[in-house]
Amino acid sequence: MVPVIELEGLGVRFWQRNILQDLRCTLSGRAIGLLGPNGAGKSTLINTLLGFYPVAAGTARVFGYDIRTQTMQIRSLTGYMPETDCFIAHMTAVSFVRMMAELSGLPSSAALERAHEALFYVGLGEARYRKLGTYSLGMKQLAKLAQAIAHGPKLIILDEPTNGLDPPARQRMIRLIHEMRDSRELQILLCSHLLRDVEETCDEVLILKDGRQVHYANLEEERRTNKRFLELETVGDDGGFAEAVENLGCACAVTSGKRMKIVLPESFVMRDLYRLAEARNVQIRRMNYRRDSLEDIFLKAMENSNGRS
Amino acid sequence: MAVHKRGYRGYAGQLTPLWSRCWIVTRYAFKNVFQWKLLTSFFYACFIFPLTCAAGIYVNHSTRLLVMFGVRSLFDVDAGFFFQFLRVQGSLAFILTALVGPGLVSPDLANNALPLYFCRPLSRAAHVAGKMMILVSLLSLITWVPAILLFLIQSSLAGWSWMWANLWLPAGVFLGSAIQILVFSVLALALSAWIKRKLAAGAALLAVFFFGAGFAEAVDAVLGTHKGALLNISRLILTVQAQLFRQPWRSPISAGSAWMALLAVSGICLWLLARKVRAYEVVRG
Amino acid sequence: MNDAAPDKRIVFEDVSKFYGEVLGVNRVNLSIPPGITSLVGPNGSGKTTLMNLMTGLVEPTRGRIRVLGLSPRQPEQLFRRLGYCTQYDSFPRGLTGYQFVYSYLRLSGRGHAEAEELAVQAIERVNLGEAAHRSIASYSKGMRQRIKLAQAICHNPTVLVLDEPLNGLDPLIRAETIALFRALAAQGLHLIISSHVLHEVDVISDQVVLLSNGYVVAEGEIRGVRDEIQEHPMQILIRCNNPGALASQVFLQDYVVEARLHHDGGGLLVKTRDADRFYLLLNRIAQNGIDIESVAPADDDVLSVYEYLIGTEEPSK
Repeated sequence: MVPVIELEGLGVRFWQRNILQDLRCTLSGRAIGLLGPNGAGKSTLINTLLGFYPVAAGTARVFGYDIRTQTMQIRSLTGYMPETDCFIAHMTAVSFVRMMAELSGLPSSAALERAHEALFYVGLGEARYRKLGTYSLGMKQLAKLAQAIAHGPKLIILDEPTNGLDPPARQRMIRLIHEMRDSRELQILLCSHLLRDVEETCDEVLILKDGRQVHYANLEEERRTNKRFLELETVGDDGGFAEAVENLGCACAVTSGKRMKIVLPESFVMRDLYRLAEARNVQIRRMNYRRDSLEDIFLKAMENSNGRS
Repeated sequence: MAVHKRGYRGYAGQLTPLWSRCWIVTRYAFKNVFQWKLLTSFFYACFIFPLTCAAGIYVNHSTRLLVMFGVRSLFDVDAGFFFQFLRVQGSLAFILTALVGPGLVSPDLANNALPLYFCRPLSRAAHVAGKMMILVSLLSLITWVPAILLFLIQSSLAGWSWMWANLWLPAGVFLGSAIQILVFSVLALALSAWIKRKLAAGAALLAVFFFGAGFAEAVDAVLGTHKGALLNISRLILTVQAQLFRQPWRSPISAGSAWMALLAVSGICLWLLARKVRAYEVVRG
Repeated sequence: MNDAAPDKRIVFEDVSKFYGEVLGVNRVNLSIPPGITSLVGPNGSGKTTLMNLMTGLVEPTRGRIRVLGLSPRQPEQLFRRLGYCTQYDSFPRGLTGYQFVYSYLRLSGRGHAEAEELAVQAIERVNLGEAAHRSIASYSKGMRQRIKLAQAICHNPTVLVLDEPLNGLDPLIRAETIALFRALAAQGLHLIISSHVLHEVDVISDQVVLLSNGYVVAEGEIRGVRDEIQEHPMQILIRCNNPGALASQVFLQDYVVEARLHHDGGGLLVKTRDADRFYLLLNRIAQNGIDIESVAPADDDVLSVYEYLIGTEEPSK
């Protein structure tokens, strides 16, 4: 797959401070997650890829274009949804998205069509003819998303897209992002603090801390491996279930209340577990193979970097 | 029958050329500017004086009407005429700037829309140029464009010889207006960029001119010189224009210094603009 | 929710609040025990109104409120026992983090030594020790959130009202803050937290209050609330090697109302009216040729309850 973003020793300095140092990575997934604690440099990286900050060392490429010399080409191919509020209060949503699409190179009539399509796609119905200054927070976020996709970019950069949204609006935003990812027409760079969202959306993750790269994880691969643990939640267990499981040859740890974690031996067969459950009249309400979740990966990466620095 | 699913799809059509993008900014700003009825009326009102002058020139060359008014000629169309014409239209241009200018950059800054402009293939210079074009075109339409039209009307009525003799006038008109338009535009844009609220920016523009004049007098009085006039922008513009039209004009500073001072003011304003109009705000700390 | 005495609870008796004609909350009856209680609902549903009523910042149009036996009309007494952390991101200008917390303590009548000690303790608890003497204007969003929290807990209150306390925090700090909440709840405090991130609400709360358009739509422990929603049978997602065969077997039972093949072909979504009997049935089926890979309740969480009771609304409202 053609790499979306290639970081080749990228470094950025501001007032004598190294904000980003020596980032080296090749990212080519359909959806890429960018994680890190506050101040790690995620926004700086995004701003540098868009050409807002000058590069102090190394370089980076987006779709093969060098960010130092081919900024305009990169900007033609990307759409950006910033974290902060971004709008022009006196314009209607349609005018706003249309102007942004025209600035990205679309001819005026095509821009109008695509503005309407984008606004329809994100779910802004009649409200599109109202001024942006009258919009609620959720609607402003949707308008921001619409302007990011109206010109049909190949890569969209979403910075905390669900910030401040209430649960139904959050669900809608996540669903839209998944749909766009699955349409295979573009690729996504998602920057968020909510690990669950990143886990559900992205197949690759880059973790930054203090301007350095501390971990790169390919979630697709992680999901395919690692079936050696089992997590269970039971109802109706009078206490002996864990012991009985251990008699099967598994090491068993009860985590909290009704939840337990089981280490599986080579010879394990699921049927045996269910036979036990039937015999003891225990309901297995929840059961899944455990693999490192993104939260574990993230916490491990933070610990490792603490150890190193 | 067919069921059409509306999913996301990319754009595969033609793109407009890069150099034309700054006009998009201008177009949308125009739409916004002319939504304000007061401004539109004022803009049209600025043409009353040129139209009156045109009528006057016509009357000058019509013996029948002159006899009716009982005069030999209404006024002389010479350098002095154009100088006064630009003074009048210049003041109107100032008011127009105060009405239009503040609303140009501040709405973009008020709600942080600049990153959205610059994440697109649009350079900062193109953005600023696009905004300036609005002021430049509107102000041109009420200053040198009607002046040159009047010159052409006069030439067509007075004949080739008059035109040959006064060919330097259009150049003077153009240069005199150009420096005025330049200074007004960059000043208005710079103030609009630094002062978030439209009303305050407008007030600041007025202050720069009127208090500037007062301040200049104060500096003169305190320091006992005449160089304080360098701070009085309207004075500087008049000095420059007077020289272009070869009018007698008493001024404590030479036309050359006036040009320099005006260009310096424009330079400072452009620098201020460059500091504010960027995709991100840099905060120390 | 009947085991704690009335003055160990936060009680709303038939409370309504109108702002002129605009509805804040209408006829709210709640009795909140100690532990972590989450307020959940769309924007404008009344969560902030409820919090303001609890802390006495607004007066109810009707009804009575008691916070651990105290009335919110007596702020002097109430704020000794209660700490409030708003969702708004504004601070007095020019203060450092330490000064912000310290001045709050002094204003509540404590002497210098006591205020200093409590301020330092609170700041340590939220892990801002290093940045305490820098001005708040230079803090990142996460740090500002934490200093607000420090101010809310510094006087060791027994009730904490927190409006979106995890907003903007990165994953590490989120986990630490959640651990802090758990620790406080274990000490017997009442924590009232409003949040939009429902999968977190699931994990941290002891009970939830769902609000919609100013009405309390449901309240209690999540499992209990879910069981009461009879119109929606329990949904369970089972991933296995042969979902078709599994479907044919579960359909033999009358308490299974629906079985749907998952779109990727590797699982079955079952809707059943009787979860207990279904799971026991599964024990038997799992031994007869079907390899089960995972079992997960699909709607036993706050998100599903939210969708059933409040629904998803059009965005252009």
